Amino acid sequence: MRRLLICVAAGAVFVAATACGSSDSSGSGGEDKGSGGTTTLKVGVIPILDVAPVYLGQKKGFYAERGLKLELVPAQGGAAIVPGVLNGQYQFGFSNTTSLLVAQSKNVPLKAVANGVASTAKEGADFMGTTVKKGSPIKSPKQLEGKKVAVNTLNNICDTSIRESVRKDGGDPSKVKFVEMPFPQMPAALDGGQVDAACTPEPSLATVKAAGGKSIASSFYDVDPNLTVAMYFTSQQYAQKNPELVKKFQEATAESLKYADSHPDEVREILTTYTKIPSTLLEKLTLPHWPAEPDRASIQRLAELAKQDGLFKETPDLDKLLP
Amino acid sequence: MKDVQDAQERQLDDAAQGPTPPLRAERPGLTNAALGAAGLAGFLALCEAVSRVGIVSDDYFPPVSRIADALVTELGDQAFWTALGDTLTGWALGLAIAVTAGILVGVVIAVVPYLREVTASTIEFLRPIPSVALIPLAVLLYGTELRSVLLLVVYASFWQVLIQTLYGVQDVDPVAEETARSYGLGTWARIRHVLWPSALPYVMTGVRLAAAVALILAITAELVIGAPGLGQRIAVAQTSQAVPEMYALVVVTGVLGLLINVGARTVERRALAWHQSVRGEVAV
Repeated sequence: MRRLLICVAAGAVFVAATACGSSDSSGSGGEDKGSGGTTTLKVGVIPILDVAPVYLGQKKGFYAERGLKLELVPAQGGAAIVPGVLNGQYQFGFSNTTSLLVAQSKNVPLKAVANGVASTAKEGADFMGTTVKKGSPIKSPKQLEGKKVAVNTLNNICDTSIRESVRKDGGDPSKVKFVEMPFPQMPAALDGGQVDAACTPEPSLATVKAAGGKSIASSFYDVDPNLTVAMYFTSQQYAQKNPELVKKFQEATAESLKYADSHPDEVREILTTYTKIPSTLLEKLTLPHWPAEPDRASIQRLAELAKQDGLFKETPDLDKLLP
Repeated sequence: MKDVQDAQERQLDDAAQGPTPPLRAERPGLTNAALGAAGLAGFLALCEAVSRVGIVSDDYFPPVSRIADALVTELGDQAFWTALGDTLTGWALGLAIAVTAGILVGVVIAVVPYLREVTASTIEFLRPIPSVALIPLAVLLYGTELRSVLLLVVYASFWQVLIQTLYGVQDVDPVAEETARSYGLGTWARIRHVLWPSALPYVMTGVRLAAAVALILAITAELVIGAPGLGQRIAVAQTSQAVPEMYALVVVTGVLGLLINVGARTVERRALAWHQSVRGEVAV
């Protein structure tokens, strides 16, 4: 027993020493090292299809040829990524545009550096659909009045864009009831009748469709056919200190986005490496559009709608936020 | 002592070979195992039936056979074992820190006069705070690293050990304590020979509870924060709509919990081999 205790105590001391003593590890990587050597950049991403281009770009060597090595760290959503970028644990992160706008309106020192993912500009064939279950009486967004609609985060990009769909269809968006629910649970919740409609991006969209459900609106498209849905960002502090690295990351990401946009088969293939999307769904996925640059006009539009919905008190300053 | 044991064993042997073997002496282990296996098989069959018959859609709750299929694939994946290692690292380190700290703090509070009264309300205030409520704090401090898992694991399991240690120390027989004093034993000797053996059964209960809680929190942290480990793998499977894979991983966490509980009980039995509750057969 005594030996056991000694082992436990020794282990604890060891852990305390390594765990508390090494706060420097988080800051490593990402200082400008001049020409020559490789710099490792930690990028906080969400393990969904939106970020396929950086995985593909990494594989294709677009980052390596600029002296960058990406360490892609999957995290559960922006709530974990934004603090990670601010405290220097990640050099770059991936976040949806509305979250970045909200952060900017609160003067959180973030800087978008590259485009993330955009609407496909094709109505009825976008990578996010406002869906209803098989046999639902709801046929158009206007009929969502008084109905329960699932969104992943309240007061974010989903409800703003679904409200716009309802508005465009001649309905009153204030009458739609939104409930919060993670994307993966939405197909089951629709089927079970817990919600009447849901904001489902891929692969939830393909799951709903496979179960006989229908998309009644392409809500991102309704905001703007070229809506910039998400972007890669860094902290203002990091951007000021490492302009060269940020520039290289921007160039490599732009190249990756362009490549991904024109090579859908390779995108589907790379998806199998960091997601577990079943092969039966993989073929049915509607891939998003990956333009090389963010679309400022669409972000402006999203900001106006979000303001109208009361997401922020101060209008975000796009000049400060956008690259 | 040895003679007594030998005599008992001989008696048992005799009884087993005798004409009317007592039921309980011969068969309990076997019967229990058989009953346990039958219960588990029944449960699995029920799960299979529930989704085959269509009581719940097999898209959201696949039959056991498909989950087993996914489990086999999962076991063949190198990344799965890395994730398992990450989870176990978080669990073991967190538990070790919590147990050490819990015992040390518990004994100090119990030994130093007035400390118990001073700390009681603070402990009762901090203890009920659910560890998961600290997730935002963990993320702000440590992001998605192992350290944020440790923060949650240690916070949750520390109280289990501390409270049990405090109870254990309270349970010290005052006569034994006074006797030790009158024999002139110093503080350290009294901790070692009186307080520690009296408190140990309680402490071991605390450790066993903490072991289970630590696993729950390690996986929760990975699932919610996205720190590397089984929990994160479950989250990825979930985001990818890979339903059988998700359940397969959930099964793995269940098995892990089972093994940890069995392990903790074994440690408990070893550490308390001398205690009445374990060597129950000679209880008076």
